[in-house]
Amino acid sequence: MKNRLKVLRADRDWTQADLADRLQVTRQTINAIEKGKYDPSLPLAFKLAKLFGLPIEEIFSPDTN
Amino acid sequence: MADTRIESSLQAGLRKSNFQLLLATATWVGSTAIMSFGPSRFWDFDTTVTFLAIAANLIAGGFMLYSFFRHLKNMDELQRQTHLEAMALTLGITMVLTVIYGALPQANVLADAQPANVLFVIGISYILSVTTLWLRRTSE
Repeated sequence: MKNRLKVLRADRDWTQADLADRLQVTRQTINAIEKGKYDPSLPLAFKLAKLFGLPIEEIFSPDTN
Repeated sequence: MADTRIESSLQAGLRKSNFQLLLATATWVGSTAIMSFGPSRFWDFDTTVTFLAIAANLIAGGFMLYSFFRHLKNMDELQRQTHLEAMALTLGITMVLTVIYGALPQANVLADAQPANVLFVIGISYILSVTTLWLRRTSE
């Protein structure tokens, strides 16, 4: 699954640690999601959507490959 | 300000459950040692005391399991998934190696198979699995 997490985070001038703090996860989790090595759970995806004020599909999109 | 509090609560929860797991594991190891060596060294094979030692070991084992699940619950989702996958890998590796190990005495390759050795396979497999899976996902 692809995502725009890095861009959205950079827009707000947040570090991975800042975002991790806001979501109550580790910085490594944010890094793994950004690099596409880990797909977040649905509750975490909803938390992200709420935090960025965007629908989930504007943050995550299916990997067509 | 609020963010720092959130970070602290995640880390504090992990630290607390980590300490409880350490304590529970130490208690279980201690009670296992008493159960194993107590009959010959401390109470001269008194069956009643041996059963009490077994009961204490079971309770300590239950406490350790409870502590482990609590620790899992306190982890964040990537940590939890890594540990669950490592457990699945450990189960498979242990099953395969235990069957081979059990067959060695029958094939006259080993004089005797000690069931306690399986614990080493479990421990080593689990540590290696957690480390490998975690590094694969979190390497920068």
